[in-house]
Amino acid sequence: MMEAKNSLQGQKVGAPDKALAASLTDATVRFGTFTAIDGLNLDIEEGAFYTILGPSGCGKSTMLRLVSDLIPAAAGDVSIFGKTTEQARLAREFAFVFQDATLLPWRSALKNVELPLEIGAKRGVDVPLGSRSPRELLELVGLKGREDALPHELSGGMRQRVAIARALVCQPKLLLMDEPFGALDEMTRDHLNLQLLDIWRETGTTILFVTHSIAEAVFLGQKVIMMRAHPGRLREVVDIDLPEPRTIKQRDQQEFTAYCGYLRDLLETC
Amino acid sequence: MAVAENITMPDLEAAERAEARRRKVVSTAVPLGTAAALILLWQLGVKLFGVPTYVAPAPSDVAVAFVEKFDILLMNFWPTLMESVAGFAVGNIVAILIAVAFVHSRHVTMAFFPIAVFINTIPILAIAPILVLIFGPGITAKVVIAALICFFPTLVNMVRGLQAISPQALELSRILSASKSEVFWKMRLPASLPFLFSALKISATTSVIGAIVGEWVGADLGLGALIIDATFNFNSPLLYATVFMSSGLSVLMFALVTLAEKLIVRW
Ligand SMILES: Nc1ncnc2c1ncn2[C@@H]1O[C@H](COP(=O)(O)OP(=O)(O)O)[C@@H](O)[C@H]1O
Ligand SMILES: [Mg+2]
Repeated sequence: MMEAKNSLQGQKVGAPDKALAASLTDATVRFGTFTAIDGLNLDIEEGAFYTILGPSGCGKSTMLRLVSDLIPAAAGDVSIFGKTTEQARLAREFAFVFQDATLLPWRSALKNVELPLEIGAKRGVDVPLGSRSPRELLELVGLKGREDALPHELSGGMRQRVAIARALVCQPKLLLMDEPFGALDEMTRDHLNLQLLDIWRETGTTILFVTHSIAEAVFLGQKVIMMRAHPGRLREVVDIDLPEPRTIKQRDQQEFTAYCGYLRDLLETC
Repeated sequence: MAVAENITMPDLEAAERAEARRRKVVSTAVPLGTAAALILLWQLGVKLFGVPTYVAPAPSDVAVAFVEKFDILLMNFWPTLMESVAGFAVGNIVAILIAVAFVHSRHVTMAFFPIAVFINTIPILAIAPILVLIFGPGITAKVVIAALICFFPTLVNMVRGLQAISPQALELSRILSASKSEVFWKMRLPASLPFLFSALKISATTSVIGAIVGEWVGADLGLGALIIDATFNFNSPLLYATVFMSSGLSVLMFALVTLAEKLIVRW
Protein backbone atom coordinates (compact mmCIF):
# COMPACT_ATOMS: atom_id res chain seq x y z
CA MET A 1 0.00 0.00 0.00
CA MET A 2 2.96 2.26 0.45
CA GLU A 3 3.68 4.57 -2.44
CA ALA A 4 6.53 6.97 -2.01
CA LYS A 5 6.50 10.07 -4.16
CA ASN A 6 8.49 9.49 -7.29
CA SER A 7 10.78 12.29 -8.24
CA LEU A 8 9.27 14.56 -10.85
CA GLN A 9 11.78 13.55 -13.50
CA GLY A 10 11.49 9.87 -12.67
CA GLN A 11 7.73 9.96 -13.00
CA LYS A 12 7.80 11.72 -16.32
CA VAL A 13 10.42 9.44 -17.83
CA GLY A 14 9.05 6.31 -16.27
CA ALA A 15 5.40 6.83 -17.11
CA PRO A 16 5.05 9.34 -19.94
CA ASP A 17 1.44 8.34 -20.56
CA LYS A 18 0.36 9.42 -17.10
CA ALA A 19 -0.10 13.17 -17.30
CA LEU A 20 0.04 15.12 -14.06
CA ALA A 21 -2.88 17.27 -13.01
CA ALA A 22 -0.84 18.85 -10.25
CA SER A 23 2.64 18.50 -8.93
CA LEU A 24 3.99 19.83 -5.64
CA THR A 25 7.75 19.87 -5.12
CA ASP A 26 9.09 20.69 -1.66
CA ALA A 27 6.08 22.98 -1.30
CA THR A 28 6.14 24.97 1.92
CA VAL A 29 3.53 27.35 3.31
CA ARG A 30 4.15 29.69 6.23
CA PHE A 31 1.82 31.99 8.12
CA GLY A 32 4.27 34.42 9.68
CA THR A 33 6.69 32.22 11.55
CA PHE A 34 4.30 29.27 11.68
CA THR A 35 4.95 26.56 9.13
CA ALA A 36 1.63 25.07 8.04
CA ILE A 37 3.00 22.87 5.27
CA ASP A 38 6.60 21.74 5.27
CA GLY A 39 8.27 20.43 2.12
CA LEU A 40 5.32 18.62 0.58
CA ASN A 41 6.09 16.42 -2.42
CA LEU A 42 3.08 15.09 -4.23
CA ASP A 43 2.07 14.20 -7.78
CA ILE A 44 -1.59 14.19 -8.70
CA GLU A 45 -2.36 12.03 -11.71
CA GLU A 46 -4.82 13.32 -14.22
CA GLY A 47 -8.29 11.87 -14.10
CA ALA A 48 -7.95 10.25 -10.68
CA PHE A 49 -10.14 10.79 -7.62
CA TYR A 50 -7.98 11.67 -4.62
CA THR A 51 -9.30 12.01 -1.13
CA ILE A 52 -7.27 13.76 1.55
CA LEU A 53 -7.31 12.72 5.20
CA GLY A 54 -5.36 13.90 8.19
CA PRO A 55 -5.72 15.19 11.73
CA SER A 56 -7.42 18.56 12.00
CA GLY A 57 -5.02 21.44 11.51
CA CYS A 58 -2.56 19.37 9.49
CA GLY A 59 -2.87 21.68 6.49
CA LYS A 60 -5.45 19.99 4.25
CA SER A 61 -7.30 23.21 3.51
CA THR A 62 -4.00 25.03 3.25
CA MET A 63 -2.85 22.59 0.61
CA LEU A 64 -5.97 23.13 -1.50
CA ARG A 65 -5.60 26.87 -1.10
CA LEU A 66 -2.00 26.61 -2.18
CA VAL A 67 -2.96 24.65 -5.28
CA SER A 68 -5.75 27.10 -6.10
CA ASP A 69 -3.45 30.14 -5.90
CA LEU A 70 -5.24 31.60 -2.88
CA ILE A 71 -2.01 31.58 -0.88
CA PRO A 72 1.57 31.60 -2.17
CA ALA A 73 4.21 29.00 -1.51
CA ALA A 74 6.97 30.25 0.78
CA ALA A 75 9.34 27.79 -0.85
CA GLY A 76 9.18 25.00 -3.37
CA ASP A 77 7.09 24.75 -6.47
CA VAL A 78 3.51 23.97 -7.44
CA SER A 79 2.48 23.34 -11.00
CA ILE A 80 -0.90 22.51 -12.47
CA PHE A 81 -0.97 20.86 -15.87
CA GLY A 82 2.55 22.16 -16.29
CA LYS A 83 1.53 25.76 -15.60
CA THR A 84 1.99 27.97 -12.58
CA THR A 85 -0.99 28.14 -10.25
CA GLU A 86 -1.67 31.71 -11.40
CA GLN A 87 -1.72 30.74 -15.07
CA ALA A 88 -3.98 27.83 -14.28
CA ARG A 89 -6.29 30.11 -12.28
CA LEU A 90 -6.52 32.62 -15.12
CA ALA A 91 -7.28 29.79 -17.54
CA ARG A 92 -9.98 28.45 -15.16
CA GLU A 93 -8.33 25.04 -15.17
CA PHE A 94 -9.51 24.35 -11.64
CA ALA A 95 -12.62 25.07 -9.61
CA PHE A 96 -13.19 25.07 -5.88
CA VAL A 97 -16.09 23.81 -3.79
CA PHE A 98 -16.10 25.07 -0.20
CA GLN A 99 -17.65 23.45 2.85
CA ASP A 100 -20.22 26.22 2.84
CA ALA A 101 -21.93 26.45 -0.56
CA THR A 102 -21.03 30.18 -0.76
CA LEU A 103 -23.90 31.02 -3.06
CA LEU A 104 -24.87 34.63 -3.64
CA PRO A 105 -28.19 34.82 -1.76
CA TRP A 106 -29.80 37.30 -4.13
CA ARG A 107 -29.19 35.13 -7.18
CA SER A 108 -31.36 32.22 -8.25
CA ALA A 109 -29.82 28.76 -8.48
CA LEU A 110 -29.39 29.20 -12.22
CA LYS A 111 -27.91 32.70 -11.85
CA ASN A 112 -25.44 31.35 -9.30
CA VAL A 113 -24.30 28.66 -11.71
CA GLU A 114 -23.91 31.31 -14.41
CA LEU A 115 -21.71 33.54 -12.23
CA PRO A 116 -18.35 32.14 -13.43
CA LEU A 117 -19.39 32.77 -17.03
CA GLU A 118 -20.18 36.41 -16.26
CA ILE A 119 -16.90 37.10 -14.51
CA GLY A 120 -14.46 38.47 -17.05
CA ALA A 121 -16.92 38.29 -19.95
CA LYS A 122 -17.11 42.09 -20.29
CA ARG A 123 -13.33 42.44 -20.02
CA GLY A 124 -12.78 40.26 -23.04
CA VAL A 125 -11.45 37.36 -20.95
CA ASP A 126 -11.68 34.11 -22.85
CA VAL A 127 -13.96 32.31 -20.39
CA PRO A 128 -13.92 28.59 -21.19
CA LEU A 129 -17.43 27.40 -21.94
CA GLY A 130 -18.15 23.92 -20.70
CA SER A 131 -19.87 21.41 -22.92
CA ARG A 132 -22.88 21.62 -20.64
CA SER A 133 -25.02 24.71 -20.19
CA PRO A 134 -25.84 25.95 -16.67
CA ARG A 135 -29.32 24.53 -17.08
CA GLU A 136 -27.98 21.11 -18.03
CA LEU A 137 -25.59 21.19 -15.10
CA LEU A 138 -28.44 21.84 -12.69
CA GLU A 139 -30.19 18.87 -14.22
CA LEU A 140 -27.01 16.81 -13.83
CA VAL A 141 -26.94 17.52 -10.09
CA GLY A 142 -30.64 16.70 -9.82
CA LEU A 143 -32.06 20.20 -9.52
CA LYS A 144 -34.17 20.34 -12.65
CA GLY A 145 -37.18 22.54 -11.96
CA ARG A 146 -35.49 24.51 -9.19
CA GLU A 147 -33.58 26.88 -11.50
CA ASP A 148 -35.38 29.96 -10.22
CA ALA A 149 -35.25 29.11 -6.53
CA LEU A 150 -33.27 31.46 -4.32
CA PRO A 151 -30.62 29.84 -2.10
CA HIS A 152 -32.67 30.36 1.07
CA GLU A 153 -35.46 28.35 -0.50
CA LEU A 154 -33.17 25.33 -0.95
CA SER A 155 -31.95 22.76 1.57
CA GLY A 156 -28.29 22.54 2.56
CA GLY A 157 -27.75 19.56 0.27
CA MET A 158 -29.42 21.33 -2.64
CA ARG A 159 -27.31 24.42 -2.10
CA GLN A 160 -24.16 22.33 -2.16
CA ARG A 161 -25.32 20.77 -5.42
CA VAL A 162 -25.76 24.24 -6.91
CA ALA A 163 -22.19 24.97 -5.79
CA ILE A 164 -20.98 21.82 -7.56
CA ALA A 165 -22.85 22.79 -10.73
CA ARG A 166 -21.25 26.23 -10.52
CA ALA A 167 -17.82 24.65 -10.15
CA LEU A 168 -18.40 22.54 -13.26
CA VAL A 169 -19.63 25.33 -15.52
CA CYS A 170 -16.20 26.18 -16.95
CA GLN A 171 -15.42 22.47 -17.31
CA PRO A 172 -12.43 22.45 -14.96
CA LYS A 173 -9.79 19.78 -15.39
CA LEU A 174 -9.16 19.81 -11.66
CA LEU A 175 -11.87 20.02 -9.02
CA LEU A 176 -10.81 21.00 -5.49
CA MET A 177 -13.30 20.21 -2.76
CA ASP A 178 -12.76 21.13 0.89
CA GLU A 179 -15.09 19.03 3.07
CA PRO A 180 -17.98 19.85 0.74
CA PHE A 181 -20.42 17.50 2.47
CA GLY A 182 -19.09 17.98 6.00
CA ALA A 183 -22.13 19.91 7.18
CA LEU A 184 -24.75 17.59 5.69
CA ASP A 185 -26.68 14.74 7.26
CA GLU A 186 -25.65 11.18 6.47
CA MET A 187 -28.44 10.37 4.00
CA THR A 188 -27.86 13.48 1.94
CA ARG A 189 -24.16 12.83 2.11
CA ASP A 190 -24.47 9.26 0.74
CA HIS A 191 -26.66 10.52 -2.03
CA LEU A 192 -24.27 13.29 -2.99
CA ASN A 193 -21.29 10.92 -2.80
CA LEU A 194 -22.86 8.70 -5.43
CA GLN A 195 -23.81 11.69 -7.53
CA LEU A 196 -20.28 13.04 -7.33
CA LEU A 197 -18.85 9.70 -8.48
CA ASP A 198 -21.21 9.77 -11.46
CA ILE A 199 -20.12 13.28 -12.31
CA TRP A 200 -16.48 12.31 -11.95
CA ARG A 201 -16.88 9.35 -14.30
CA GLU A 202 -18.82 11.40 -16.80
CA THR A 203 -16.58 14.44 -16.89
CA GLY A 204 -13.23 12.73 -16.41
CA THR A 205 -12.08 15.58 -14.21
CA THR A 206 -9.39 15.11 -11.58
CA ILE A 207 -10.73 15.53 -8.06
CA LEU A 208 -8.96 16.47 -4.83
CA PHE A 209 -11.46 15.94 -2.04
CA VAL A 210 -10.72 16.79 1.60
CA THR A 211 -12.79 14.96 4.20
CA HIS A 212 -12.57 14.06 7.85
CA SER A 213 -14.55 10.88 7.37
CA ILE A 214 -12.41 7.77 6.78
CA ALA A 215 -15.37 5.91 5.27
CA GLU A 216 -16.06 8.73 2.85
CA ALA A 217 -12.38 8.89 1.90
CA VAL A 218 -12.29 5.15 1.11
CA PHE A 219 -15.65 5.14 -0.62
CA LEU A 220 -14.83 7.99 -3.00
CA GLY A 221 -11.10 7.80 -3.47
CA GLN A 222 -8.99 5.82 -5.84
CA LYS A 223 -6.14 7.10 -3.73
CA VAL A 224 -6.19 8.43 -0.20
CA ILE A 225 -3.60 11.07 0.66
CA MET A 226 -2.84 10.83 4.37
CA MET A 227 -1.26 13.93 5.87
CA ARG A 228 0.41 14.40 9.24
CA ALA A 229 0.49 17.43 11.45
CA HIS A 230 3.12 19.60 13.15
CA PRO A 231 4.28 20.45 10.62
CA GLY A 232 1.95 19.51 7.77
CA ARG A 233 3.60 16.83 5.71
CA LEU A 234 2.69 13.90 3.51
CA ARG A 235 2.34 10.70 5.51
CA GLU A 236 1.37 8.21 2.86
CA VAL A 237 -0.63 7.80 -0.33
CA VAL A 238 -2.83 4.72 -0.09
CA ASP A 239 -4.23 3.11 -3.25
CA ILE A 240 -7.80 1.94 -2.82
CA ASP A 241 -8.34 -1.10 -5.00
CA LEU A 242 -12.08 -1.53 -4.83
CA PRO A 243 -14.21 -2.57 -7.80
CA GLU A 244 -15.64 0.26 -9.90
CA PRO A 245 -18.21 1.65 -10.02
CA ARG A 246 -18.47 1.98 -6.26
CA THR A 247 -21.76 1.09 -4.62
CA ILE A 248 -23.10 1.77 -1.14
CA LYS A 249 -23.18 -1.98 -0.52
CA GLN A 250 -19.40 -2.21 -0.79
CA ARG A 251 -19.16 -0.44 2.50
CA ASP A 252 -20.26 -3.52 4.39
CA GLN A 253 -17.72 -5.70 2.65
CA GLN A 254 -14.60 -6.86 4.34
CA GLU A 255 -12.23 -5.27 1.84
CA PHE A 256 -13.73 -1.88 2.48
CA THR A 257 -13.59 -2.16 6.25
CA ALA A 258 -10.01 -3.40 6.01
CA TYR A 259 -9.02 -0.18 4.23
CA CYS A 260 -10.85 1.84 6.85
CA GLY A 261 -9.09 -0.03 9.63
CA TYR A 262 -5.70 0.49 8.01
CA LEU A 263 -6.33 4.22 7.58
CA ARG A 264 -7.62 4.55 11.14
CA ASP A 265 -4.42 3.03 12.49
CA LEU A 266 -2.38 5.20 10.17
CA LEU A 267 -4.24 8.34 11.27
CA GLU A 268 -3.31 7.60 14.87
CA THR A 269 0.36 7.82 13.99
CA CYS A 270 -0.02 11.21 12.28
CA MET B 1 -54.14 6.31 2.50
CA ALA B 2 -53.51 8.47 -0.55
CA VAL B 3 -57.21 9.25 -0.78
CA ALA B 4 -57.41 10.16 2.86
CA GLU B 5 -54.47 12.49 2.41
CA ASN B 6 -56.09 14.13 -0.57
CA ILE B 7 -59.18 14.83 1.46
CA THR B 8 -57.59 16.05 4.65
CA MET B 9 -54.70 18.05 3.22
CA PRO B 10 -56.74 20.89 1.63
CA ASP B 11 -58.93 21.02 4.74
CA LEU B 12 -55.89 21.39 6.95
CA GLU B 13 -54.44 24.02 4.69
CA ALA B 14 -57.69 25.94 4.58
CA ALA B 15 -57.94 25.80 8.35
CA GLU B 16 -54.38 27.03 8.65
CA ARG B 17 -55.03 29.88 6.25
CA ALA B 18 -58.17 30.87 8.13
CA GLU B 19 -56.24 30.82 11.39
CA ALA B 20 -53.50 33.00 9.89
CA ARG B 21 -56.09 35.44 8.58
CA ARG B 22 -57.79 35.58 11.95
CA ARG B 23 -54.49 36.33 13.65
CA LYS B 24 -53.76 39.09 11.15
CA VAL B 25 -57.15 40.70 11.74
CA VAL B 26 -56.65 40.56 15.50
CA SER B 27 -53.17 42.02 15.26
CA THR B 28 -54.49 45.07 13.37
CA ALA B 29 -57.76 45.37 15.28
CA VAL B 30 -56.17 45.47 18.75
CA PRO B 31 -53.90 48.52 18.22
CA LEU B 32 -56.63 50.31 16.25
CA GLY B 33 -59.13 49.70 19.03
CA THR B 34 -56.65 50.88 21.64
CA ALA B 35 -55.99 54.07 19.68
CA ALA B 36 -59.72 54.74 19.30
CA ALA B 37 -60.24 54.20 23.02
CA LEU B 38 -57.43 56.61 23.89
CA ILE B 39 -58.82 59.28 21.58
CA LEU B 40 -62.23 58.84 23.16
CA LEU B 41 -60.67 59.15 26.61
CA TRP B 42 -58.92 62.33 25.53
CA GLN B 43 -62.18 63.77 24.16
CA LEU B 44 -64.03 62.97 27.39
CA GLY B 45 -61.19 64.28 29.59
CA VAL B 46 -60.97 67.62 27.79
CA LYS B 47 -64.74 68.14 27.81
CA LEU B 48 -65.28 66.87 31.36
CA PHE B 49 -62.58 69.02 32.97
CA GLY B 50 -63.26 72.01 30.75
CA VAL B 51 -59.67 72.33 29.52
CA PRO B 52 -59.33 75.49 27.41
CA THR B 53 -58.95 74.73 23.68
CA TYR B 54 -55.61 76.64 23.41
CA VAL B 55 -54.10 74.38 26.11
CA ALA B 56 -55.34 71.10 24.70
CA PRO B 57 -57.94 70.89 21.96
CA ALA B 58 -60.41 68.02 21.90
CA PRO B 59 -59.99 65.51 19.09
CA SER B 60 -63.22 66.79 17.59
CA ASP B 61 -61.75 70.34 17.42
CA VAL B 62 -58.65 68.94 15.71
CA ALA B 63 -60.80 67.05 13.24
CA VAL B 64 -62.79 70.19 12.43
CA ALA B 65 -59.56 72.17 11.93
CA PHE B 66 -58.24 69.40 9.74
CA VAL B 67 -61.24 69.56 7.44
CA GLU B 68 -61.75 73.34 7.44
CA LYS B 69 -58.08 74.24 7.02
CA PHE B 70 -57.25 71.39 4.69
CA ASP B 71 -56.27 73.72 1.83
CA ILE B 72 -53.82 75.57 4.13
CA LEU B 73 -52.44 72.28 5.41
CA LEU B 74 -51.99 70.95 1.89
CA MET B 75 -50.37 74.19 0.72
CA ASN B 76 -47.81 73.81 3.50
CA PHE B 77 -47.49 70.07 2.98
CA TRP B 78 -45.94 70.24 -0.50
CA PRO B 79 -42.85 72.34 0.34
CA THR B 80 -42.05 70.09 3.30
CA LEU B 81 -42.51 67.01 1.14
CA MET B 82 -40.17 68.44 -1.50
CA GLU B 83 -37.53 69.38 1.07
CA SER B 84 -37.73 65.99 2.76
CA VAL B 85 -37.48 64.03 -0.48
CA ALA B 86 -34.67 66.22 -1.83
CA GLY B 87 -32.78 66.04 1.47
CA PHE B 88 -33.36 62.29 1.63
CA ALA B 89 -31.98 61.86 -1.88
CA VAL B 90 -28.99 64.17 -1.48
CA GLY B 91 -27.98 62.94 2.00
CA ASN B 92 -28.23 59.28 1.08
CA ILE B 93 -26.52 59.56 -2.31
CA VAL B 94 -23.60 61.45 -0.78
CA ALA B 95 -23.42 58.92 2.08
CA ILE B 96 -23.44 55.99 -0.36
CA LEU B 97 -20.71 57.52 -2.53
CA ILE B 98 -18.52 58.30 0.47
CA ALA B 99 -19.09 54.77 1.82
CA VAL B 100 -17.92 53.37 -1.52
CA ALA B 101 -14.80 55.55 -1.33
CA PHE B 102 -14.20 54.43 2.27
CA VAL B 103 -14.39 50.77 1.34
CA HIS B 104 -12.19 51.38 -1.67
CA SER B 105 -9.38 53.12 0.15
CA ARG B 106 -8.06 52.95 3.67
CA HIS B 107 -6.50 56.40 3.26
CA VAL B 108 -9.79 58.07 2.43
CA THR B 109 -11.32 56.41 5.49
CA MET B 110 -8.49 57.61 7.69
CA ALA B 111 -8.80 61.15 6.39
CA PHE B 112 -12.56 61.56 6.43
CA PHE B 113 -14.11 59.19 8.95
CA PRO B 114 -13.23 61.33 12.00
CA ILE B 115 -14.75 64.34 10.23
CA ALA B 116 -17.93 62.38 9.53
CA VAL B 117 -18.13 61.37 13.19
CA PHE B 118 -17.58 64.99 14.26
CA ILE B 119 -20.38 66.20 11.98
CA ASN B 120 -22.63 63.58 13.49
CA THR B 121 -21.94 64.86 17.02
CA ILE B 122 -23.23 68.37 16.24
CA PRO B 123 -26.89 68.58 17.32
CA ILE B 124 -28.98 69.32 14.26
CA LEU B 125 -30.91 72.00 16.18
CA ALA B 126 -27.65 73.81 16.89
CA ILE B 127 -26.41 73.77 13.33
CA ALA B 128 -29.74 74.60 11.65
CA PRO B 129 -29.53 78.41 12.23
CA ILE B 130 -26.00 78.46 10.87
CA LEU B 131 -27.12 76.70 7.72
CA VAL B 132 -30.04 79.09 7.29
CA LEU B 133 -27.59 82.00 7.62
CA ILE B 134 -25.35 80.44 4.99
CA PHE B 135 -27.96 79.32 2.49
CA GLY B 136 -30.64 81.94 3.12
CA PRO B 137 -34.34 81.48 3.81
CA GLY B 138 -35.00 79.50 0.60
CA ILE B 139 -35.43 75.77 0.14
CA THR B 140 -31.67 75.05 0.03
CA ALA B 141 -31.05 75.34 3.77
CA LYS B 142 -33.91 72.92 4.55
CA VAL B 143 -32.67 70.40 2.02
CA VAL B 144 -29.16 70.62 3.47
CA ILE B 145 -30.44 70.11 7.02
CA ALA B 146 -32.59 67.14 5.95
CA ALA B 147 -29.63 65.71 4.02
CA LEU B 148 -27.31 66.16 6.97
CA ILE B 149 -29.64 64.27 9.30
CA CYS B 150 -29.83 61.38 6.79
CA PHE B 151 -26.15 61.24 6.11
CA PHE B 152 -24.50 59.50 9.03
CA PRO B 153 -26.68 56.41 9.61
CA THR B 154 -26.53 55.62 5.90
CA LEU B 155 -22.76 56.12 5.78
CA VAL B 156 -22.16 53.73 8.68
CA ASN B 157 -24.65 51.11 7.45
CA MET B 158 -23.43 51.27 3.87
CA VAL B 159 -19.79 50.81 4.91
CA ARG B 160 -20.83 47.80 6.97
CA GLY B 161 -22.95 46.47 4.12
CA LEU B 162 -20.19 46.76 1.56
CA GLN B 163 -17.93 44.83 3.91
CA ALA B 164 -20.59 42.23 4.75
CA ILE B 165 -19.49 39.82 2.05
CA SER B 166 -18.04 36.60 3.49
CA PRO B 167 -14.32 35.80 3.26
CA GLN B 168 -15.26 32.68 1.35
CA ALA B 169 -17.16 34.67 -1.28
CA LEU B 170 -14.02 36.75 -1.68
CA GLU B 171 -11.98 33.58 -2.16
CA LEU B 172 -14.49 32.49 -4.78
CA SER B 173 -14.05 35.80 -6.58
CA ARG B 174 -10.29 35.34 -6.48
CA ILE B 175 -10.48 31.82 -7.89
CA LEU B 176 -12.63 33.21 -10.71
CA SER B 177 -10.00 35.95 -11.18
CA ALA B 178 -12.69 38.61 -10.78
CA SER B 179 -11.66 42.24 -11.15
CA LYS B 180 -12.18 44.77 -8.36
CA SER B 181 -15.13 46.31 -10.16
CA GLU B 182 -16.73 42.91 -10.76
CA VAL B 183 -16.44 42.14 -7.06
CA PHE B 184 -18.05 45.49 -6.34
CA TRP B 185 -20.97 45.24 -8.75
CA LYS B 186 -21.68 41.53 -8.48
CA MET B 187 -20.96 40.92 -4.80
CA ARG B 188 -20.37 43.92 -2.53
CA LEU B 189 -23.16 46.15 -3.79
CA PRO B 190 -25.96 43.56 -3.75
CA ALA B 191 -24.74 42.29 -0.38
CA SER B 192 -25.00 45.83 1.01
CA LEU B 193 -28.64 46.36 0.03
CA PRO B 194 -30.28 44.97 3.20
CA PHE B 195 -27.97 47.22 5.25
CA LEU B 196 -28.70 50.20 3.01
CA PHE B 197 -32.45 49.73 3.36
CA SER B 198 -32.35 49.58 7.13
CA ALA B 199 -30.58 52.97 6.99
CA LEU B 200 -33.01 54.33 4.41
CA LYS B 201 -35.93 53.44 6.67
CA ILE B 202 -34.36 55.53 9.42
CA SER B 203 -33.72 58.47 7.14
CA ALA B 204 -37.19 58.29 5.58
CA THR B 205 -38.54 59.68 8.85
CA THR B 206 -35.56 61.74 10.00
CA SER B 207 -35.47 63.66 6.70
CA VAL B 208 -38.94 64.98 7.56
CA ILE B 209 -37.67 66.05 10.98
CA GLY B 210 -34.75 67.83 9.26
CA ALA B 211 -37.04 69.70 6.88
CA ILE B 212 -39.38 70.79 9.71
CA VAL B 213 -36.50 71.93 11.91
CA GLY B 214 -35.18 73.94 8.97
CA GLU B 215 -38.59 75.57 8.55
CA TRP B 216 -38.75 76.48 12.23
CA VAL B 217 -35.60 78.52 11.91
CA GLY B 218 -36.74 80.51 8.93
CA ALA B 219 -39.54 79.95 6.48
CA ASP B 220 -42.99 81.26 5.73
CA LEU B 221 -44.24 78.13 4.05
CA GLY B 222 -44.10 74.47 5.06
CA LEU B 223 -45.44 72.36 7.93
CA GLY B 224 -42.64 73.61 10.23
CA ALA B 225 -43.57 77.23 9.53
CA LEU B 226 -47.25 76.41 10.10
CA ILE B 227 -46.40 74.80 13.46
CA ILE B 228 -44.61 77.98 14.59
CA ASP B 229 -47.42 80.15 13.24
CA ALA B 230 -50.19 78.15 14.90
CA THR B 231 -48.31 78.08 18.21
CA PHE B 232 -47.83 81.86 18.30
CA ASN B 233 -51.49 82.40 17.45
CA PHE B 234 -52.63 79.93 20.14
CA ASN B 235 -54.39 78.06 17.34
CA SER B 236 -54.05 74.69 19.00
CA PRO B 237 -56.47 72.72 16.80
CA LEU B 238 -54.51 73.81 13.71
CA LEU B 239 -51.23 73.03 15.50
CA TYR B 240 -52.37 69.52 16.29
CA ALA B 241 -53.69 69.03 12.77
CA THR B 242 -50.31 70.12 11.40
CA VAL B 243 -48.52 67.67 13.66
CA PHE B 244 -50.72 64.87 12.34
CA MET B 245 -49.99 66.00 8.80
CA SER B 246 -46.24 65.87 9.55
CA SER B 247 -46.43 62.40 10.97
CA GLY B 248 -48.53 61.40 7.94
CA LEU B 249 -45.66 62.59 5.75
CA SER B 250 -43.17 60.50 7.75
CA VAL B 251 -45.40 57.45 7.48
CA LEU B 252 -45.75 57.98 3.73
CA MET B 253 -41.97 58.20 3.25
CA PHE B 254 -41.39 55.16 5.44
CA ALA B 255 -44.04 53.14 3.61
CA LEU B 256 -42.52 53.97 0.22
CA VAL B 257 -39.04 52.89 1.34
CA THR B 258 -40.44 49.70 2.87
CA LEU B 259 -42.29 48.95 -0.36
CA ALA B 260 -39.11 49.49 -2.38
CA GLU B 261 -37.26 47.18 -0.01
CA LYS B 262 -39.88 44.46 -0.41
CA LEU B 263 -39.55 44.69 -4.18
CA ILE B 264 -35.76 44.81 -4.30
CA VAL B 265 -34.47 42.76 -1.35
CA ARG B 266 -36.20 39.44 -1.95
CA TRP B 267 -33.66 37.10 -0.35
N1 LIG C 1 -4.71 32.39 7.43
C1 LIG C 1 -4.04 31.74 8.40
N2 LIG C 1 -3.26 32.41 9.27
C2 LIG C 1 -2.59 31.77 10.23
N3 LIG C 1 -2.61 30.44 10.43
C3 LIG C 1 -3.37 29.71 9.61
C4 LIG C 1 -4.13 30.32 8.55
N4 LIG C 1 -4.80 29.35 7.88
C5 LIG C 1 -4.47 28.18 8.50
N5 LIG C 1 -3.62 28.40 9.52
C6 LIG C 1 -3.04 27.37 10.39
O1 LIG C 1 -2.44 26.40 9.56
C7 LIG C 1 -2.70 25.11 10.06
C8 LIG C 1 -3.37 24.28 9.00
O2 LIG C 1 -4.67 24.78 8.80
P1 LIG C 1 -5.71 24.09 7.81
O3 LIG C 1 -5.06 23.90 6.50
O4 LIG C 1 -6.94 24.90 7.84
O5 LIG C 1 -5.94 22.70 8.52
P2 LIG C 1 -6.98 21.54 8.13
O6 LIG C 1 -6.13 20.36 7.83
O7 LIG C 1 -7.79 21.28 9.34
O8 LIG C 1 -7.78 22.00 6.98
C9 LIG C 1 -3.53 25.25 11.31
O9 LIG C 1 -2.69 25.14 12.44
C10 LIG C 1 -4.10 26.65 11.19
O10 LIG C 1 -4.23 27.22 12.47
MG1 LIG D 1 -9.86 22.47 6.77
